[in-house]
Amino acid sequence: MIDVERLSKSFNGTRALDGFTLHVGAGELFGLVGPNGAGKTTLMKVLSTLLPMDSGTAQIDGLNVNQQTREVKRLIGYLPDQPGVYQDMSVREFLEFFADAFQLKGARNRAAVDRALKRSGLVDRSEASVEQLSFGMKQRLVLAKTLLHDPKVLLLDEPATGLDPLARIELREQLKQLQAEGITILISSHILSDLEDICTQIALIGEGRNATDAEGHSVLQLRAPQDPVRIYEIELIGDSAPAVNIVNSIAGARTLESSAGRLVAEITGADEQAAALLRALVVAGVNILRFDHRALGLEERYRMVFREKRP
Amino acid sequence: MNPMIRKELRQRMRERRGWLLPSLYLVVLGAVVTFAYFLSTSERGASGIQGSTVGVVLFLTLAYSQLGLLLLLVPIFSAGSITIEKEQRTLSGLLTSLLTSGQIWWGKFVSSLLFVLLLLVTSLPVLSMAFAFGGVGPWEVFSATLTTVIILASMSAIGLYCSSAFQRSVHATAVTYATVVAISVVTAILFFVRMAMYETGHRGQAVATGGGWYQIPLDIRVPMYLNPFFFLTASFAPPGQLYPAWITSACVFIALGVLAVVLTLRNLRRRGDL
Repeated sequence: MIDVERLSKSFNGTRALDGFTLHVGAGELFGLVGPNGAGKTTLMKVLSTLLPMDSGTAQIDGLNVNQQTREVKRLIGYLPDQPGVYQDMSVREFLEFFADAFQLKGARNRAAVDRALKRSGLVDRSEASVEQLSFGMKQRLVLAKTLLHDPKVLLLDEPATGLDPLARIELREQLKQLQAEGITILISSHILSDLEDICTQIALIGEGRNATDAEGHSVLQLRAPQDPVRIYEIELIGDSAPAVNIVNSIAGARTLESSAGRLVAEITGADEQAAALLRALVVAGVNILRFDHRALGLEERYRMVFREKRP
Repeated sequence: MNPMIRKELRQRMRERRGWLLPSLYLVVLGAVVTFAYFLSTSERGASGIQGSTVGVVLFLTLAYSQLGLLLLLVPIFSAGSITIEKEQRTLSGLLTSLLTSGQIWWGKFVSSLLFVLLLLVTSLPVLSMAFAFGGVGPWEVFSATLTTVIILASMSAIGLYCSSAFQRSVHATAVTYATVVAISVVTAILFFVRMAMYETGHRGQAVATGGGWYQIPLDIRVPMYLNPFFFLTASFAPPGQLYPAWITSACVFIALGVLAVVLTLRNLRRRGDL
């Protein structure tokens, strides 16, 4: 649905995007992470037709975002990183104006506005001034505005910034619901736990390019059915050196970290490999207190990718 | 109806300045006309004054002061139009909707010009005072009003260009005011300085400056075609005297306006500095 190939964009000689490539399938909820200045917002602006690209290609549903801007605008809903509202309008007027701007007239306009009000939970406040809404409500209003014309693709740039925990949970639920409705969503965020909860895949971006993890992946699979590499955390009584030797002697296992009473091992293979390691440790007389599978979180993977690059 | 026009007019009329400015404008205009009336009648006894003379004085005073006041107000309405969308971060919402850059510009232009025209219309009762005294015909009123509208439309377009070129309203407004001062004051100063130098250089020769505007060399005259007060003056002249100058000034102001529109649309389409 979203196909970006070797996309580059410079501002006054500074490369904001430098040959970035991305492919997002239809109906996916796809994350985009990277440090500040990595090029996430520039990518979102190019995809939303706000910025022309210097080189490369970007297509949404087969439409070129540089050349078929009007058709692309019909397909997309774009939520910028700091969306603005007209404070002096009522909630209904705000939605009516944007429905009008998307050429929804008469009954279609009213229906779209009513649907947006329900979706944002602002039916009771439809006549209230936008100025009176809380930050979270304004964010819901802007997201509802973005959905007025039933876009097939949503481009969300840091939508959770500034939201309180409850509003963030609501946003996550809403995004899951929209994905269930068949909308393709590309979302950038610094709140990795949120992305981990909702995204199926996450692309890494750094200095305008595709960043890669230790295994060379530029897209992290968060919902992989069977991850071949697993991390186990082992707590034991006494010296960990004998346990380290045993771990390293097992095929497909290696020690990542070790200290007194604790070690972290990486096991490649099926569950049987982990069972074999545990058995070997027990037979060798190692007093084990805990043997835990530890999923490598997005935060940890992010840190591993971008830690060394930090100035 | 263009959704932008409806939105802009609704927002403008909700602002405090929506009613405050027309009120202040009328008060100032009324004071100027009253002052002009007393000035024109106090020189001689009331019995020795022709009503038509008072009518002409009032009309001219009104026309020039109205133009001066509106030139001061135009930047307020136009220069902040697009920058406010940048400042409140709503421009990207407009640009990613199905509104074209032309529709966005037209909505901004019409709303800012309509508000200025509203001021022009509200001044009609004051203008009718000049009619009451005679000496002024419908043609003078029509040509003066048409000239004022051309100037204001052109200045609104320039204000909108500044608004599209700058990020902050304060900067766009300052540059629009600088433009107003440049075309109203600097052109006049330039003309009079060069005219004085020309007269000094040709002292004793048959310099026929008193013989008419077209006796002055073109390179000295040129800046005045950019001057809104000269443009207005040309509209009062009997046909055949300054009529070609009026046409030239009209072309210059329309060309300036069109150039400003083209540049504004280019800026809106670039969108790079949202």
